Amino acid sequence: MCITNAAKITGIPAGLLIFIALAPVLWGCSDADATADTSYTMEQPANFPKATYTFENNPVTKEGFELGRMLFYDTRLSGDSTISCSTCHIQQAAFADPAHRVNHGVANRLGTRNTPALTNVAFQSSFFWDGGSNHLDFVPVNALTSHVEMDNTMEEVVRRLRDIPEYQKRFKNAFNKEEIDSQQLLHALSQFMVMFVSANAKYDKVIRGEGEQFSAEELAGYDLFIAKCSSCHATDLFTDGSYRNNGLDTDFKKDSGRSRITELPDDLGKFKVPSLRNVTLTPPYMHDGRFQTLEQVLSHYASQVKNTPTVDPALRSGDSLGIPITDDERVKIIAFIKTLTDHEFGKDKRFADPF
Amino acid sequence: MKKILSLSVLAIAFILLTSCSDDENPQSGSIEIEFDNVVGEDDLTLNTTDEVYTNAAGETFKVTMLKYYISNIILTREDGTTYQDEVTADGSKGYYLVDEANTASQLITLNNVPAGSYTSMTFTIGVDANRVTEGAQTGALDVANDMFWSWNSGYIFLKFEGISAASTEENKAVMYHVGGYKTIDTNPSSANNVKTKTVTFTAAKVASDKTPEVHMIVDVLKIFASPNQISFAAVPVQMSPKENIPVVENYLNTFIADHVHN
Repeated sequence: MCITNAAKITGIPAGLLIFIALAPVLWGCSDADATADTSYTMEQPANFPKATYTFENNPVTKEGFELGRMLFYDTRLSGDSTISCSTCHIQQAAFADPAHRVNHGVANRLGTRNTPALTNVAFQSSFFWDGGSNHLDFVPVNALTSHVEMDNTMEEVVRRLRDIPEYQKRFKNAFNKEEIDSQQLLHALSQFMVMFVSANAKYDKVIRGEGEQFSAEELAGYDLFIAKCSSCHATDLFTDGSYRNNGLDTDFKKDSGRSRITELPDDLGKFKVPSLRNVTLTPPYMHDGRFQTLEQVLSHYASQVKNTPTVDPALRSGDSLGIPITDDERVKIIAFIKTLTDHEFGKDKRFADPF
Repeated sequence: MKKILSLSVLAIAFILLTSCSDDENPQSGSIEIEFDNVVGEDDLTLNTTDEVYTNAAGETFKVTMLKYYISNIILTREDGTTYQDEVTADGSKGYYLVDEANTASQLITLNNVPAGSYTSMTFTIGVDANRVTEGAQTGALDVANDMFWSWNSGYIFLKFEGISAASTEENKAVMYHVGGYKTIDTNPSSANNVKTKTVTFTAAKVASDKTPEVHMIVDVLKIFASPNQISFAAVPVQMSPKENIPVVENYLNTFIADHVHN
């Protein structure tokens, strides 16, 4: 991580920071870098909007982060101890699941929605395809308790953790509370996930002037992207966080989308605009994973947008639907989208399976 | 922020003007608030063999679960001065989950209450929005207490579950999960069901050597009776914040201070 002008967002008292910085020395860690250890500080990339996570309530520490990592990869959190968070959120795939169209859980149960990537979650203000959760801490509750995902209860997860000596020790070291509870579990998972900052794609290095240049094709694609895609895939997070009906279906009986949360007919068939960061790593696409390739996605916008009362105004121009994209333009746009893939992120050892 | 500042100034002024007696007399004690769940004339019993209760719509039922949150308790003395139960940002203090299946949970004890004669209590039935927007909580608000919607984040304020021959659901289930903390101006379907209730009672006298008890009665029948009569045949399961507004209007009338033991 070499992000210039990075603003540290920790909320950790200065004394503790010094302690953390000294930790490798004090504990005889093999870390050769004797300078301040920022491995456990969520760093704000210069080209990102401000982080939204409530760090003041849950500052990231080495102990909390490592505990969160262990929990993230531990199958014992699921009802039948067969799957973990990492079963569907795979690091090499930007913590998405390229192998399954929709979420799948214990006993090979299938859900209805595609697993979202977990990159840059510290910058999001709502979660899930329908925005049902507005705080990262509460996101794992859904996965842990969903019948089609981990099929456990929070009570049972906490009970199991209390019985495991390794966790008794790690929770005590991270939070220093009498007894493990779900707050500590969720805080630890958040401490791990907020560190999933993916901001070192070729695009970032071009934008921040770090010695990289777009090719002629990528540059043409960038201009086309700005003109045709960026009204929704906005900011350097490549989403505006809004909910839109992108014309996939003629009715919404299978999944009402945002309307499930708001109970508003106007929100029928609307889903959250996903970030396009690392999107080459995260097929299949759309809320139900119906498209396998980016070519299919762009062909949809070019010629297959379906007309319903809630279809997004950005996809409607007079009587015509969709976004005009020629075959040549599609090639260029995809060349640009490939520059959003952060190859360092998937290899970051901090996020790897500790088991 | 300005608003908070000016409120703080007012609060300080208020304390200076009204609480002198406390400064001179720092005595404090405890007060107990008991939540006694009943069904009409009868004490509530969970999981009865038969459907021994009958609602206002004439439908028989039994109760398998009754849980609700009480929070942000404010006690008011005869002279109008108040004592506010401390509420912490992580939910560890000031939030109470009253559960019919857990006798201990039905008695809330407030400690370090300034000595005095208290005649009313204001409290929230439910959980304010901050507890969701501030992230994971502990204590009564721990999501392991199963009073939280995970797919649409938010606390369930009151959970009533039972069985009624009138229900058209599988196993004749009746489920009312009441919550909803969001007010969204642009969304007429959003419902903010975070409501406060004030009850009055004959003086509960707190002193260092006296712990009065305020005996609250919560009548299950009233939750489904007045002003909105609710039929389990018509609506056996309801979890929508908006659709549960009639239940909220009812349960506001359900919490009554019956008497005080001094």
